[in-house]
Amino acid sequence: MEYIASTLTFTGIALIGVLGVYMVTGLTGLFSFGQAAFLAIGAYVSAVLFKNLGFPLPLAALVAMLVGLAAGLLVGLPTVRLRRDYISLVTFGFGEAIIAVLNNTANITGGAMGLSGVPQRTSFLLVLASVIVCVAIVVSYKNSKYGRQCLALRNDELAAKSMGINVERLKLVTFLIASVMTSFAGVLYVFYTTYVEPGAFGWVISAEWMIIVFVGGVNSLTGAVVATVLLTGLPEFLRFASEWRIAIYCIIVLLILNFRPSGIFGEHEISLRFLRRLFRKGDSAE
Amino acid sequence: MSSLEVKGLSKAFGGVKAIDDFSFEVDDHNIVGIIGPNGAGKTTVFNLLTGVYPLDAGQVFLDGKELTGMPQHAITRAGIARTFQNIRLFRGLNVLQNVMTAADPYSDYNLLDVCFFTPRKRRRERAVRDLSRNYLKIVGLEGYEKERPESLPYGLQRKLELARALATKPRVLLLDEPAAGLNPSEVRALIDLVRTIHGQFQFSIIIIEHRLEVVMELSSKIFVLNFGKLLASGTPAEIVCHKAVTEAYLGEEETECSA
Amino acid sequence: MTPQLLINGISLGSVYALIAVGFALIFNILKFSNFSHGGLMSVTAYIGYVACVFLGHYIKDLPLFVVTLVAAALGGGLLALVVERVAFRRLRNSNSSVIYYFISSITMGILMENSITIFASSNFYSYPSFFPASVIRFGALSVAIPDLLTFLFSAAALVILLVVLFRTKIGLAIRSTSFDTSTAKLMGMDPNRVVAATFFASGVLGGVAGVFLGINYTLYPQLGQLIVKGFVASVIGGLGSISGALIGAVLLGVVEIFLIGLVGAGWSPVVIFVIMLVFLLLRPRGISGVIVQEKA
Repeated sequence: MEYIASTLTFTGIALIGVLGVYMVTGLTGLFSFGQAAFLAIGAYVSAVLFKNLGFPLPLAALVAMLVGLAAGLLVGLPTVRLRRDYISLVTFGFGEAIIAVLNNTANITGGAMGLSGVPQRTSFLLVLASVIVCVAIVVSYKNSKYGRQCLALRNDELAAKSMGINVERLKLVTFLIASVMTSFAGVLYVFYTTYVEPGAFGWVISAEWMIIVFVGGVNSLTGAVVATVLLTGLPEFLRFASEWRIAIYCIIVLLILNFRPSGIFGEHEISLRFLRRLFRKGDSAE
Repeated sequence: MSSLEVKGLSKAFGGVKAIDDFSFEVDDHNIVGIIGPNGAGKTTVFNLLTGVYPLDAGQVFLDGKELTGMPQHAITRAGIARTFQNIRLFRGLNVLQNVMTAADPYSDYNLLDVCFFTPRKRRRERAVRDLSRNYLKIVGLEGYEKERPESLPYGLQRKLELARALATKPRVLLLDEPAAGLNPSEVRALIDLVRTIHGQFQFSIIIIEHRLEVVMELSSKIFVLNFGKLLASGTPAEIVCHKAVTEAYLGEEETECSA
Repeated sequence: MTPQLLINGISLGSVYALIAVGFALIFNILKFSNFSHGGLMSVTAYIGYVACVFLGHYIKDLPLFVVTLVAAALGGGLLALVVERVAFRRLRNSNSSVIYYFISSITMGILMENSITIFASSNFYSYPSFFPASVIRFGALSVAIPDLLTFLFSAAALVILLVVLFRTKIGLAIRSTSFDTSTAKLMGMDPNRVVAATFFASGVLGGVAGVFLGINYTLYPQLGQLIVKGFVASVIGGLGSISGALIGAVLLGVVEIFLIGLVGAGWSPVVIFVIMLVFLLLRPRGISGVIVQEKA
């Protein structure tokens, strides 16, 4: 039972990270290889503030998210006005830089040995509540002018500008929301595992999140959620050869790319209306 | 009174002068046409007016306000809207959403409204939706709201481009070959549609078009471009009789000319 | 800055140039950033190692080194062909949007890296030392032999590439395709062949780079992640510009060696990130200033 709860908790935390990537990559079409670095920022900043400086947890979490915001600005400001490729390259460099900082400030962060002895304050229920809030915000974002404009600019940036959409600001705003959200996931993460090390935040994690979003269907939020549960949750339960897990992932993704490029859900969402329509289709088929 | 005033527009691409010192004015609530052979720089004029490319020289004024050097989206919001020659609809969005994106920049709710699901967001969203439905109705796309733009027949895609441009609330609407790829009866309908919306809204229209009947019938004034330079300008009747124009553009064929 | 540091930097920069140019070649022709290039370098580093171990019984020193490089280069070229076939061919044929190329290249990169983790991570490997770590003196200047050879072989590989690009038919085809794919197709060029040739060339450079990285940093599956140096060089040089990538890479190598002398090797990724940011703020289009303009 405890094992199941812990797997679900990790899946929930990963899901918040995936939601950030969904906003940046799924909705806006930007590729960030540095999302895991925001997870690291959230985890380390909150843990150090709480443990070493005695900040109360909510304040530590808030500061961690603000630092995530500032880091997002640092990366986002110079890159949003350039071709999209730059944001992937710069975020890649950013991720590596953050890991290097963590490794080289051993007296604060514990360096490569990691930071341990953080008390466990995150519970499954807290994670569940956070996931619900975050999903709600992302759904609301997607179904607002922001979400529509993101999809428009992902599709055709030049036409989006001609519709009066401030493409650069919108990209930045979306990227910043994702940064803050992922930093928050980092807070949840460190106060659950009680231990973090820099190696856990490499670009492969960011890439894995992107792959999850993609497998679910590029702009389907439902797809992203289902894929997160399938791809992070199930392997934990099944425990099959963990070394092969990532390779199998990749092969699945390549197969999907070649044979069903829109992902599992394509652009569809499961909503009440969608279910009702399915049901009705069944009726009319009689 | 002129609403759009363009002075000395110039642009070179790698030494080739695409547009060379082109000045023109568009009067308030007027329709003008720009014609010229392929490669004369017509679409470039639109790209310059809307800020896709920076100008090498020249100035653009809209209702007396200078737009030169403003970013693309700001120019659109200042009142210059356009359609694209090679249709550029947003494929990830449905027909209604395509129009809504163009109306969205005027929708005044913010991120807090999004995060807290405020009634204000709901109200504004409904307003934008109704507004956009109305634009679809004006161009005759009622009932297609939920369709994918790429699944529409070509003629309807052109109409959707038009509805989307209308939703940006333009002062000047730039139509880039709106009749390209349409059959004769569709061209007829387009001419009527342009006339209708022009009558309905307070804006000016600039049309680039290869199908001369469209330009001749709609415009009160025509500018002829050749190799980036203004070759002639005048009323449709004057243009048809202009010797240089008939040679450069219309060819050698005999045209009936009363002047 | 001492001349010795400068030479170290140029030598390092020449390896970065191999990476950056391999990356820029693909960017030029398909207009996306090929992240699988890192995974490819990891694999080729091991290919070179295997070749080196097997052939080490028969030959030594310089010949062994050359054979290792050639094996890794060919391995890299062939592997790149496989990558192109598996990850990109169908996408190109169905005119997919650039997002799919991204995902495909990332996935392919992780897959290659992970294959090595599965088959080779349990043991520690490193290249034998091909040369005595001695120095050659040019007057007052002393140059370490490994540095000199790194530079010479990288430069040779790049020169061969440039000759192919600018003096052969297939090079002309590559250049014209990268300029305008559809026109090139109309002129009767087979895009599949041109793209395959480009991938092969990029893979060859990746192979050579992989061996140098393996020699410099020992072998580990994540070795290819040093591709980030190639990215930075490309950003500094201007995305998709080959000459820009060359200049950017050498510049990066020199600056990195110099700054690491000041702050220590552990901070190098931070230094590199800062250099990249500063460059983007000051000169967003890179040294070459190529503008990849969308057509309206």
